[in-house]
Amino acid sequence: MTKYLSSFKLALKQEFVYKLNFVLGRFRNIIHILVFFFLWSSVFDTTVGNHFGYTKSAMLTYAFLLILFRSITLSSKSGDIAGIISNGDLSNYLLKPISFFKYWLMRDFASKALHVIFSIFEIIILFIVLRPDIYLQTNPVNLLIFVYLCITAIFIFFNLLILTSFVPFWLPELGWGAQFLIVAIIVEFFSGAVFPLDIFPKIFFEILKFTPFPYLVYVPIKVYLGGSEINLIQSALISTLWVFILFRVTKIVWHKGLLVYDSSGR
Amino acid sequence: MKEIRFIYYFKIWLVMAKNSFLGWIFKRGAIAIFLTGKLIRYFFYFLFLYFLTNQTQGFLGYTKDQILFFAVSYLFVDVAGQFFFRNVYTFRQLVISGDLDLILSKPTNSLFRVLMGGPDLLDLITIPPIIFLIFYFGTPVFSNFANVFYYSALLLNGLIISAAFHIFVLAFGVITLEVDNLVMIYRDILSMGRFPIDIYKEPIKSLLLVFVPIGIMTTVPAKAMIGLVSPVGVLSALIFGVSLFTLSTKFWQLALKKYTSASS
Repeated sequence: MTKYLSSFKLALKQEFVYKLNFVLGRFRNIIHILVFFFLWSSVFDTTVGNHFGYTKSAMLTYAFLLILFRSITLSSKSGDIAGIISNGDLSNYLLKPISFFKYWLMRDFASKALHVIFSIFEIIILFIVLRPDIYLQTNPVNLLIFVYLCITAIFIFFNLLILTSFVPFWLPELGWGAQFLIVAIIVEFFSGAVFPLDIFPKIFFEILKFTPFPYLVYVPIKVYLGGSEINLIQSALISTLWVFILFRVTKIVWHKGLLVYDSSGR
Repeated sequence: MKEIRFIYYFKIWLVMAKNSFLGWIFKRGAIAIFLTGKLIRYFFYFLFLYFLTNQTQGFLGYTKDQILFFAVSYLFVDVAGQFFFRNVYTFRQLVISGDLDLILSKPTNSLFRVLMGGPDLLDLITIPPIIFLIFYFGTPVFSNFANVFYYSALLLNGLIISAAFHIFVLAFGVITLEVDNLVMIYRDILSMGRFPIDIYKEPIKSLLLVFVPIGIMTTVPAKAMIGLVSPVGVLSALIFGVSLFTLSTKFWQLALKKYTSASS
């Protein structure tokens, strides 16, 4: 356990090496949230009634929770694995007496810890500046399942990102392309990180809820907001099932990838 | 004489574009992936706007058609800017490696070379569908041909401002080596122009009109098409664009004086 704790501390220090990079990255994140916040503010301020089942306060709460969720779920270092496989550096990791998966999970945790701390400060500052009407959930069952879904979301994203990073085992030149398509496009849109999935017709979500994507952002936030369209137990079960399925698939693909890995580039 | 210089640089640009496109020929899998990704992104972006405007029937006093026209105007400025100025994304490596010396010692304009030296094939492929969408969403908001002229001139002005921003990024790159994040921040700030900048409250709205004038790049052209900008407003925007471009080239020259060629 000590060696993984050391990996965590080391990863935390590495994040601070490129301080400007980190700060600019956070700044970019805030811009996304500001667009979301002001768009929906103006929609609710200049039109009549609720939209897509959201009150203004629920939608603005969604915006603020997005800041936190992008840090908890979508901030990660495991995307670097694709490059490590492409350039042959994976050999160095295979020789070390550590679990490859636990090492990267620790690196992810370090990245998330730092991003969460910063996001809390950002939320406080934006709250003071924008003074939005925020919805506070008081039902302990919703809060408990919300926390549980945050945890499953971390593991679902970790596995999705690692699986995408394994593409260079077979197609070394397509590592970045696969991440662009799966993480930057599919995950962003289908997880609810760009807009709530209620925007689309109901059938769209009915299909999407059997995929892992909405459990990354949309479902946990909806559980917090207490929407009646989300079945709490069913959501917790499906997300748990996805964690196990993805863990299993990741292991299988990892072993198959190692069989074809020839350390080219070293 | 100026005409001859233009033809000379246009020919150089064609050669650079050809070289850049040839680089993609050996990456057909990457072309398919990136193109699919871009198309999915645009598809869902417009689907989102379609459902949003259908539900609300427009907002901020703009109709559904006008909102969609704002969006497609932003998309054109964003994608055309990436197509022309994609080379900026690889500029840092030139400075770090010292290869910038090779460009500075050539008889062509170095700024032209680093700014426009690598047009992006994928953006070129996506430009025609965006122009189709401009016509498609522009038809319902069409009022008269004078507004179409203002719109076209202001879109071009948007590209000039985009060029100015990219030149500022290059100049900062020479001084600080910080290019990658700056250019991405520019794009994120530009993305605030996906919707009419009237959605933002003060002082952000004023900042987006004057300090980081994405409003002039994306919102003002669409407003001119709708007929909400006077000829004086159009002229002011054009003067602003040209002034900013001139200022950026001065800054580039200043930055070059700071270049030490340390890595070469």
